[in-house]
Amino acid sequence: MKKLQRRTILKGIAAAPILLAQGRVWAASGVPTMPSEVDLAKAKAEGKLTLYTSLDTKIVDSIIGAFKAKYGITVEYFRGGSADVTSKVLAEADAGRIQADMVDASDLAALLVMKDRGLLLAKQSDATAAIAANLRDPDGTWMADRLTQGVIQYNTKEFGGEKAPKTWKDLTSPAMKGRLAFFSSANGDGAPRLYTLAKHLGWELLEMLAANKPIRVATPQLVTQLLESGERGAAFATNDNIAWRSKLNGKPTDYVNPPEGVPTEPGAVGLIKRAAHPHAAFLFHEFWMGKDAQGLLVNGGKYSSRSDVMPPTGSPPLISLKLLTLDYAEYKRDRQAILRRMTDVFGGEWGI
Amino acid sequence: MTRPLQASLHHRGRWDGSTIVFCFSIGLLLLIVGYPLLWLLMSAFGIPGEFELGYIAHVYTRSQNLAPLVNTLILAFGSAIISVAFGVPLAWATARCDVPLRRTIQALVAVAYITPPYLTAIAYIILLGPDAGYFNRALQELTGATRGPFDIFSMGGVIFVVGMHVFPFTYFMTHSALRSVDVSYEEAARLLGARRWGVLLRVNLPLVAPAITGGALLSAIDSMALFGPQAFLGLPAQITFLPTRIYGIIGSYPPRWAEASALSLTLVLLTACGLMLQRAYLEGHSHTTVGGRGLRLENIRLGWWKWLLLAFCLGVVFLSALAPVGVLAIAAFSRSWISGIAATNFTLSNFSEALFNNQIAVRGIFNSFRLAAAAGLCAVVVGATVAYVDLRTQAKGRRFLDYLAILPLGLPGTVMAVGVLLAFIRPPFAIYGTIWILLVAYVARFVPLATRSANATLRQIDPSLEEAARIAGASRLAALWRILLPMTLPGIAVAFLLVFIPALSELSATILLYSGGTETIAVAIFRLNDLGQIEVVAALAVFTITVTLLVSLPLNWLSNRGRTVPTGAVSKS
Repeated sequence: MKKLQRRTILKGIAAAPILLAQGRVWAASGVPTMPSEVDLAKAKAEGKLTLYTSLDTKIVDSIIGAFKAKYGITVEYFRGGSADVTSKVLAEADAGRIQADMVDASDLAALLVMKDRGLLLAKQSDATAAIAANLRDPDGTWMADRLTQGVIQYNTKEFGGEKAPKTWKDLTSPAMKGRLAFFSSANGDGAPRLYTLAKHLGWELLEMLAANKPIRVATPQLVTQLLESGERGAAFATNDNIAWRSKLNGKPTDYVNPPEGVPTEPGAVGLIKRAAHPHAAFLFHEFWMGKDAQGLLVNGGKYSSRSDVMPPTGSPPLISLKLLTLDYAEYKRDRQAILRRMTDVFGGEWGI
Repeated sequence: MTRPLQASLHHRGRWDGSTIVFCFSIGLLLLIVGYPLLWLLMSAFGIPGEFELGYIAHVYTRSQNLAPLVNTLILAFGSAIISVAFGVPLAWATARCDVPLRRTIQALVAVAYITPPYLTAIAYIILLGPDAGYFNRALQELTGATRGPFDIFSMGGVIFVVGMHVFPFTYFMTHSALRSVDVSYEEAARLLGARRWGVLLRVNLPLVAPAITGGALLSAIDSMALFGPQAFLGLPAQITFLPTRIYGIIGSYPPRWAEASALSLTLVLLTACGLMLQRAYLEGHSHTTVGGRGLRLENIRLGWWKWLLLAFCLGVVFLSALAPVGVLAIAAFSRSWISGIAATNFTLSNFSEALFNNQIAVRGIFNSFRLAAAAGLCAVVVGATVAYVDLRTQAKGRRFLDYLAILPLGLPGTVMAVGVLLAFIRPPFAIYGTIWILLVAYVARFVPLATRSANATLRQIDPSLEEAARIAGASRLAALWRILLPMTLPGIAVAFLLVFIPALSELSATILLYSGGTETIAVAIFRLNDLGQIEVVAALAVFTITVTLLVSLPLNWLSNRGRTVPTGAVSKS
């Protein structure tokens, strides 16, 4: 896999190089591997499909609602953190019975592991043209559907005006002691973005943040809740889309993309090779990656991976941010050691 | 009739419809309890693969595993202390004193026990979250402090919430011991000039000490097995316990089965030690004087002291039952739980979301009901069979069966789930990913409750009644169906409900075993809480607690009825 770099992401998003993989992929009989092979009648006969996703349910609900309205096909979903999604898929694969037809996770390394295990379908997609080459698998097993930035979010009552944190360094000040929050489930799904920070800005930053005794919760939604209620004053590396929605809903919070750089996390989607509902799943994949559904994603505050979809209202264009990226192949390889280091720095449970 | 009656009975007893039911039940028991435990053992020692006895010791050379072990022991110890500190005074007050509202207090203790502990944990996040919690904010306003004095996200917080759930063990055991104490001892002590407190400390206390110790040990054992409070309150504080550690190991990718099994076995060992301690203690100190049943217990008149004791009792039931359930109810009807009670904050939309709109919640309710009903039925069939084979036959290995059917009582849900996962993720019984694996886990977890209940019921019925039917020419199946079943029906209903109630809100095993489409109420609550939708969680919680309480009402009524089986049918043995 080509290294994911800020420059190439931006280039891809800005210019949208058209690069269609021409090699035709042959698969088991009846399983579509390109959009033209999707049989609408068969998809409707399958009637439903199952999606495993780590995306916020409000966005998922809006997209599957639109899909149902258009095709009459029901999408049932399992929603958990990206490590939940991955461990479920891997365990189900061990049992020889993957329930999911389509998998979506905000941890690209997870999709790479699934690809290594031979669980993902190699296919072509109509969305390929709109996605930067480094945001999709050359073999066509996965493509990024969204980009999430790990921002600083804060309570404006506690840290309003002058006191508002602007940089990562601001969060390391003694004034932040006992006032910080961050997220990761017990299985370590918050680690990639924290590692991105460590890689670009040094582990010392994480150690100084840890020294301020941050509270840790399982999800960015819970982080926002802590900030909205005033339980904590500021959070690091929390989801920009959740912070965006909190502000939009008039809650006493705001967020900032620090100038030192902000970790960006591509979420990615793939189809399961031996899915029970191959046609419905492929149809849904194309819908999910299409401009309309990606618009719904943006309405939920996410940045689309499509170069032809605008950023969320009121959000800065990615080109204006200093994006910190991660080589996910490397992350996949070193993941155990990285999680071990997270345990050393923050304590608690990281699934290692 | 030329053939001897005995031979004919024997012959008919060997193969008929009941034999099929028996074999099926016993096979089921071996499959769902024995088979997973076998896998758990094998996996912890690295089988299949290289046999390595030192693996368990190796696991604990990692600080990531050692800390959860220590934390789990601290939690067990702490909640046992709370259990005694709250359970014993309440038991004394309601069993022997003239404190008012005794029945109400007892009922509320039962509510504290029945409320799933993870719901109590969520309630206490609302009540004692360090800054935004209701209690803390109230105290902040009173004292003018910038921060509330309590932090529920701490070891103390976990111990407190778990203690609130387990103290009923000590309460109920001490209560029944106090009710059966022979009053003549007290009277003798009084006649000899002992004062009230002297009687209490030197006569009553030693007599009920085994019950107190038993309750404390049960509390400790149960606290180690819980998952919810440890997950909801421990994770934010970076405190890991064995169940949450096991969850982390399996929930991460790739799942590390051997490590999870080794930790599970440790949890089993701890539980077994606790149970053995309890048994050893009871055997050494069993000078209970149950002879006093005939004497009328007179309630001790405490004078003004009773108001103080009442205040304490009300305080405990307020903290353990009224406040958590109440605050969940408030949040369930609120647009935002932070805003508290106000007309503008009132809404019913959380209930429509929880019961009709939210995909996972709706599916969870449907799944939980059908799983709990199916688990209840299966557990009753298996439990009744085990009890029957144990009490009515001379079959070889019947003690083993009975032991196997009781064993899961000492197994934490997390442990049972790891075993079930290992066993049923691969052929020949690959049911992981389907709803069947949850059914297996629930039956395995709760079959002891059904077995014990069936055993108690069957003991009350004299075998002569079935024998009479057999002599009159009925087959064993007919004797079971037409004589035993009608007489034991209330007991069977109790056994069913005893399984149905905990299965309806089971979390610790489910969280490791569910998949897309097989979510339960507990999973929906866990996941929605993750997403910060506390109000919808509260609505689901209120629904669950209401259903649980409604279902418990017939349980109460039936078990009272069970005790008043016509005396003619009650065996003296």
